[in-house]
Amino acid sequence: MIHVKNLRKEFTVHRKPPGIIASMKALFIRDTITKVAVQEVSFHVAEGEILGLIGANGAGKTTIVKMLSGIIHPTSGSVDVMGYNPWQRQKNFCRQIALIMGQKAQLWWDLPAADCFLLLREIYQVDPKKHQEMLEFLLSILDVRDEINIQIRRLSLGERMKMELIAALLHKPKVVYLDEPTIGLDLAAQRAIRNFILGYRDSVKPAMILTSHYMEDIERLCKRVVILLNGKFVFDGALQDVVQQFSAHKIISVKLHKPVDLTRLNPEIELIEDHGDELKFRVMAEDVAHVSQHLLAKIPGANLAVGEMNTADVIEELFQEKA
Amino acid sequence: MGRYSKLYLYFLRFSFSRAMEFRLDFFFRIVMDTVYYAVHIIFFGVIYGHTSMVGGWNFDQVLIFMCGFFLVDALHMTVHANNLWALPEYVNKGHLDYYLIRPVSSLFFLSHRDFAANSFVNLIIAASMLIWAILRYPGEFSPLQIMVFLGLLLNGAYLYWLIHMCFVIPVFWTHSAHGFQMLFYSLKQFAERPDPIFQGLMRRTLTTILPFLLIASYPARILFEGLNTTILIHSGLVSLGLTIFLLWFWNKALRSYSSASS
Repeated sequence: MIHVKNLRKEFTVHRKPPGIIASMKALFIRDTITKVAVQEVSFHVAEGEILGLIGANGAGKTTIVKMLSGIIHPTSGSVDVMGYNPWQRQKNFCRQIALIMGQKAQLWWDLPAADCFLLLREIYQVDPKKHQEMLEFLLSILDVRDEINIQIRRLSLGERMKMELIAALLHKPKVVYLDEPTIGLDLAAQRAIRNFILGYRDSVKPAMILTSHYMEDIERLCKRVVILLNGKFVFDGALQDVVQQFSAHKIISVKLHKPVDLTRLNPEIELIEDHGDELKFRVMAEDVAHVSQHLLAKIPGANLAVGEMNTADVIEELFQEKA
Repeated sequence: MGRYSKLYLYFLRFSFSRAMEFRLDFFFRIVMDTVYYAVHIIFFGVIYGHTSMVGGWNFDQVLIFMCGFFLVDALHMTVHANNLWALPEYVNKGHLDYYLIRPVSSLFFLSHRDFAANSFVNLIIAASMLIWAILRYPGEFSPLQIMVFLGLLLNGAYLYWLIHMCFVIPVFWTHSAHGFQMLFYSLKQFAERPDPIFQGLMRRTLTTILPFLLIASYPARILFEGLNTTILIHSGLVSLGLTIFLLWFWNKALRSYSSASS
């Protein structure tokens, strides 16, 4: 459904030192720099798949989503979405996509959601009967039927986000871009939105791209991820493979039968969790054998288990290393 | 076309329900525009206190021309102005994003989504003033002349939007707060003067590249000079040319749209 090849986006930005003299100078001489937001990124997304696009702030995730939805033009590279070139913005293409941005509202602030949905029905030329059926379906699974006639600005953030999701999906798009859809929401609302996205994926089978800073979103919704670092593509594959590819560390868990004096342990071994009856150490993969020996020697009778690092921690570590 | 009419009906409905919530703004705009009309009529009243003709037009003719311009201006204020004023902010803050992914013309959507219901009363006032000016005119006009005059005024409102839009679009590159709208409002004053007073290069410019004189002055000439096909053809061709230019300019601008980081 979505094929991206060597996509690149550069922005020219104006750089100005502080102060009035610099401002006056900038009136005549502009110091501009070219910022590369996305560098030769390639991937594809199949029908019914949710691809997680992950990266730190400024990694280029939103820029990619905006290029794939036709909002901004790439500097180079090619994109094919359902056979369309997005930035030609053909009506048939626009009718089959949806974009949800957690940080930007599409609904009219002063109007109730019901009015906005009617306008969207007209914009997307959805048959009134089908529109009503889809609306009933979305309202019931998101549990916001009672809020549909309340002005958007009077709704809570969670309710507003649910209305945004309904607005974006009423025309049953075949391609859905979700840019941080759970940002700022409480845990219950995040869970509800995740369940909804999974339910929608199962019933409509669209190709979806999800960007999120919440690893739980990615872990719950995406089997495959693309990782970006400073606009560069670094990984495309199954989420569980991220750990093997990027983590040089292992986790040693030690179950304790009785309290232990931690000062007896080698201080160079990194203790990352202390639950009283269980300790967790992070060690380099090549050091696992001799650290295990050391721990067994210093904590007689302890149960040791060696495991992989948590995916979220690996990704966070990766972003920190490259920052 | 039917679809766009339906969409516009939704915009009207939403805009009216919003406008009623802000009563002070609603009444302020009526007062503001009424003062604007009065100032212009007084201005010409003062001039005609010293002379009987300006550019070959007497006061009765200028009054019809001015009231025609008020009608065009009120139409612009009601239908387009709010949208064009908001556009620079949309571009600079990246709010254009959702408008660009809809299966409707982004130019139509962004130019018409906000109907200024609080200017609607001014539209009625301006229309009433025009009827009054025509009725008090000492000569007579044929029904066809009146119809062509009104048709050309509608074309004038369309030209007004086209020119205004051309002055807003540079905001895609300049990222300034208003685009070149201040320049537009300075130049717009040419549309508030009878076209016979302009000569030479300035006249050619104001009837072609920046066709401010075609907004209200050319339509008024249909009433005073009779049905003039040159005026009709000229107005039609300029509107067509400017439409083609605007579509090209808009697409060029959208290519430069950089949105804003989230």
